[in-house]
Amino acid sequence: MTTLTSPRLRASTPDRPAWEERPSLADRLVKTMVLGAVVLAVLFPMWSVLVTSLASRTTINAAGGMVVIPREIDLSAFATIFSGGQVTRALLVSAFVTVVGTAVSMVLTVLAAYGLSRPTSFGHRPILLYFLLTFLVYPGLVPSYLVVAGLGLKDSLWALIVPSAVSVFNLVVIRAFFMSIPADLIDAAYIDGAGEWRIMTRIVLPLSKAVLAVVALFYAVGYWNAYFNSVLYIDDNDKWPVQRLLQSYILAGQSPHVTGVPIALPGITAYPPTLAIKMAVVVVTVVPAVLVYPFVQRHFTKGVIVGAVKG
Amino acid sequence: MNRSLGARLNRDWPLLAMTAPAALLLLVFHYVPTLGNVIAFQDYNPFMGNSALDAFLHSDWIGLGNFETLFDDSAFWDAVRNTLSITLFQLVFFFPLPIILAILLSSVASAKLRSFVQSVSYLPHFFSWVLVITFFVQMLGGAGLLAQELRRHDLPMWDVMTNPSTFIILVTSEAVWKDVGWGTIIFLAALAGIDPSLYEAAAVDGAGRWRRLWHVTLPGIRSVAVLLLILRLGDGLSVGFEQYILQREAVGRQAAEVLDTYVYYQAIIPQQWGLGAAAGLFKAGIGLALILIANKIAHGLGEQGVYSSR
Amino acid sequence: MGAGAVAGFGLGLGGWHVGCSKRASAQGAATSAAEIAALLPECRPVQLVLPDIEAQQPLPNGYLKYPSPLVRAIADRPGRSGRTIKTMSPWWGPTPPGLGRNAFLDAVNTELGISVNPSVQDGNTFADKLSAMLGARDVPDVLAAPMWEIDKIPRFADAVKALFADLTEFLSGKAVRAFPMLATLPTVAWQYCVWGGRLAAVPFPRDNPFPWALFYRKDLTDRAGVGVPKTIDELYAFGKAMTDPARGVWAFGGIFDMIQMLFKCPGSKGGWRKRVGGGLEYKFETAEFRQALEFTSRLFKDGMVHPDLVASKGGDAMQLFHGGKIIAVQNGLGAWAGSQSEQSKVTAGYNIQPMPIFSALGGDPLAWGAQDPVFYTFIKKGLGKERTQEILRVLDWCAAPFGSTEYELNAYGVEGRHFTRAEDGSPVPTDLGRRELAGQYSFIGGRVPVIVATADVPHFVQDFFAYTTSTIRYLEQDLFEGIKIALPPNYSKTIIATEDKLNDVLRGRRPLSDLHQIVREWRNSGGDEGRAFLEKTLIRNGR
Repeated sequence: MTTLTSPRLRASTPDRPAWEERPSLADRLVKTMVLGAVVLAVLFPMWSVLVTSLASRTTINAAGGMVVIPREIDLSAFATIFSGGQVTRALLVSAFVTVVGTAVSMVLTVLAAYGLSRPTSFGHRPILLYFLLTFLVYPGLVPSYLVVAGLGLKDSLWALIVPSAVSVFNLVVIRAFFMSIPADLIDAAYIDGAGEWRIMTRIVLPLSKAVLAVVALFYAVGYWNAYFNSVLYIDDNDKWPVQRLLQSYILAGQSPHVTGVPIALPGITAYPPTLAIKMAVVVVTVVPAVLVYPFVQRHFTKGVIVGAVKG
Repeated sequence: MNRSLGARLNRDWPLLAMTAPAALLLLVFHYVPTLGNVIAFQDYNPFMGNSALDAFLHSDWIGLGNFETLFDDSAFWDAVRNTLSITLFQLVFFFPLPIILAILLSSVASAKLRSFVQSVSYLPHFFSWVLVITFFVQMLGGAGLLAQELRRHDLPMWDVMTNPSTFIILVTSEAVWKDVGWGTIIFLAALAGIDPSLYEAAAVDGAGRWRRLWHVTLPGIRSVAVLLLILRLGDGLSVGFEQYILQREAVGRQAAEVLDTYVYYQAIIPQQWGLGAAAGLFKAGIGLALILIANKIAHGLGEQGVYSSR
Repeated sequence: MGAGAVAGFGLGLGGWHVGCSKRASAQGAATSAAEIAALLPECRPVQLVLPDIEAQQPLPNGYLKYPSPLVRAIADRPGRSGRTIKTMSPWWGPTPPGLGRNAFLDAVNTELGISVNPSVQDGNTFADKLSAMLGARDVPDVLAAPMWEIDKIPRFADAVKALFADLTEFLSGKAVRAFPMLATLPTVAWQYCVWGGRLAAVPFPRDNPFPWALFYRKDLTDRAGVGVPKTIDELYAFGKAMTDPARGVWAFGGIFDMIQMLFKCPGSKGGWRKRVGGGLEYKFETAEFRQALEFTSRLFKDGMVHPDLVASKGGDAMQLFHGGKIIAVQNGLGAWAGSQSEQSKVTAGYNIQPMPIFSALGGDPLAWGAQDPVFYTFIKKGLGKERTQEILRVLDWCAAPFGSTEYELNAYGVEGRHFTRAEDGSPVPTDLGRRELAGQYSFIGGRVPVIVATADVPHFVQDFFAYTTSTIRYLEQDLFEGIKIALPPNYSKTIIATEDKLNDVLRGRRPLSDLHQIVREWRNSGGDEGRAFLEKTLIRNGR
């Protein structure tokens, strides 16, 4: 178990380790410029989205579209979205689907990735091939619908989780990380009499925190952004996830004119979307991403091998 | 491994049991409905017979008719060519960028700065394509900031948004802007997995920054990079859809038609489901070929790749 | 680049023909006008309140003030079985709360005496939803679908047969008297509700026959002292005068359809007309189209079209129009009142008007027209006679015309909750009204269209009729009126491909001289097939 006890305690503080030289001035300059450019290229449009979401119609009309210089803070776009409770409700639906879905997906994917991480195991190649082939051919709309409806999942939130619970892409990524764990660690555990379950939970998973965090993020983002399955499988307007509901605010007033069909909708026509509402929708969907990332990121900065296994 | 099959089964059944739930799920929600792709060989009429299943079983079988319709259409080959060109272009000019950015980020000493840049740079991934293109139009379009500046100074116009010959650069820039930060995440995880003692040992041996990059960092993330490269190639005939639909009129079909938009206009809108399925199978065939080639090359370089044949 | 090589590869593969293989063979289909006429419901108009402006079909009647008192149109409650009716209809706006959380649904359901449980689907994804549902044969009790989605579905007559109730016995001829409000719907709309010899849907009629109008910002052109163009040269001059890139203003948004119309390109079924000497010709083949193409490409070349719209389909023409960054834009007349009402609150003096049409070639102008309904409402097959009748009674309630208490409840909700009244008595939606109403009942039943004055857009009704009555004189006679046509898929596909090529000419990527070749390709790849099909259809109908 020598390899296990040797990993150096990498200080959890981010400061430069003793052996690393100070970068030259030129190095730092280039680095700062590149990263500064990246940050600016994102923050400027982000700013414009935020300012536009808080702008009045007059300001938006004057700008002819996206606003850059704020004139006022007008919360009416957000008020419109959050009035009436439909969006709040949809946020809860999405939160449920994201949390439960990510948990289900992680369990299934990690188990399968571990099961496939031993190239010499029984049936390894055909089983791996079975998973990989899903990359190439996709099922059509109607057959998928028939399966989901046939299982009685229509209008159930499980229809937003189960059909897309296993992403083979994520599975293959996790598997690659599992396989990069030094074999002697695992062999040593075998010799100590540990079973597969114990090896997975005590050795492999703790060593793979970073990739697990990343894949959990991939899954969570996937569930949060998912839209199309709800179009197919959820008729009940009260069970729509937030992405779908927010789309309906963006649509307001756009069609049917765009198709050239000249109708005035009878009675109350939906209020036409202001650009502010569209941008408020963007803000609402991006905020969770801003909030979640730091949790994932934590796993990148710590030395991952530290204290993985107690010999 | 000379053990008998039975012994191996006896030893490995926990692994099989672990794989089973995911495999079952894919069977039900992927493979079973995938059988529906038989309509690629049919003149599929969804309203035939007494049930939806009937329609799949009883529509006219027309052999390779749908494939012939595709292959005889020069617009189809234009779309395939465009798609592959964009894939290749992006493999060269997009694929390495997340790796570079990840390495750059991990070399930043201050944790605060690092996490700030990371969390900012991955945000555009959450923007829709409509919004991304709106930003580009506002910057580079004929009424955008750049154009208005040029106008103010009576300089010649430079409208990249409608120029077919630079379209491939435009879409790649858009894709980079949207997804480069997102793409770094997985490499950051890979970098986190590199044993710090390797760096220290190298440093002690007198290796400078670049040598450590070459001998420790790159080998540490190589297998992930190769894996992602192979998976990307397998999906080589998909380069996105919305991005191209939105800009197709601006630069014309010649430059902007990719396989997915072709299928949309020729099969989805006119509801030629058999034709759509045939295009899907064609895509799968090309994807398989690309994966096999890339995998072979990976093995040649001593990498696992996505699938090893022994 | 490697174009030649790849094309060669293509030909090589194309050579791998398997002897027995066939191509997909969906054909066009047409039900003749005579067959349809035999199935149509008798039309029995009901006029609850006298209109102020009585217009000739196909224009709607106009009301200068909101009527009072309202009349009760239906005596009995339509629902009897107590079983919930599931409906699905499209909507373009915020998704409303569902049954149990929506006071509007409760109020109407109480009136109906039965629980209607609507699923509101957003218009943009309706096509996906529809094809999955139809393919899986899983439809709700009542399905309202946009005409333009239904038109895209090949073999829809088969779908009707497999999935939807044949309403002929309930609605044809005198039978419709059992549903007196459905009997008020105009015959011209019913004509399109026949597939494969059966009356299968209830129509939601259009409120005017014009697909397009060219709206302009009258407030801005007045200020600039630029008059309304009356000739095509004046339109060009208008564009020159109003375009000012330095201020971020361009004269036009998308206007190619309108320009074609001004050049008198034919518009029947997308652009057909009878050729001198027999047969049909499509607009692509006419000199008028060539001129329209040339003129519009000049507008692009001379920089009169807003660059945001040139650069991306995602550009928002109406937003630019509202902001005064575009001066003229084509849109349906349906956009008029909403835009005027909304933007008057933002921009003082905001005034949009449709430009009176003129002929670019001299002589009388031409106005394209369409009479097919906006939505079709289908009832699920196999529900049994009584249930089908019950559902039809619900649709009948939903079709109660303007001036009835039913119409008001359907369109505006409950007074005091979903709307309040302006001084002139017209309903003004409350926030709750905006949230809870989403066409749940109005889209499934159709209605006789009307144009009604509202306090927030004075003069709208007068302006509307001034434009439409002067334009209706030039309405093109639809060659195929009353014939139900499903175009051959090959033809529909080639139209898409050809429009791509024409778009290249429009944007200056291909010379105008290529038009000849483009038309030749169009003819060979399905254009002539479409022509033959339509010519045969006309002959069968004795036209």
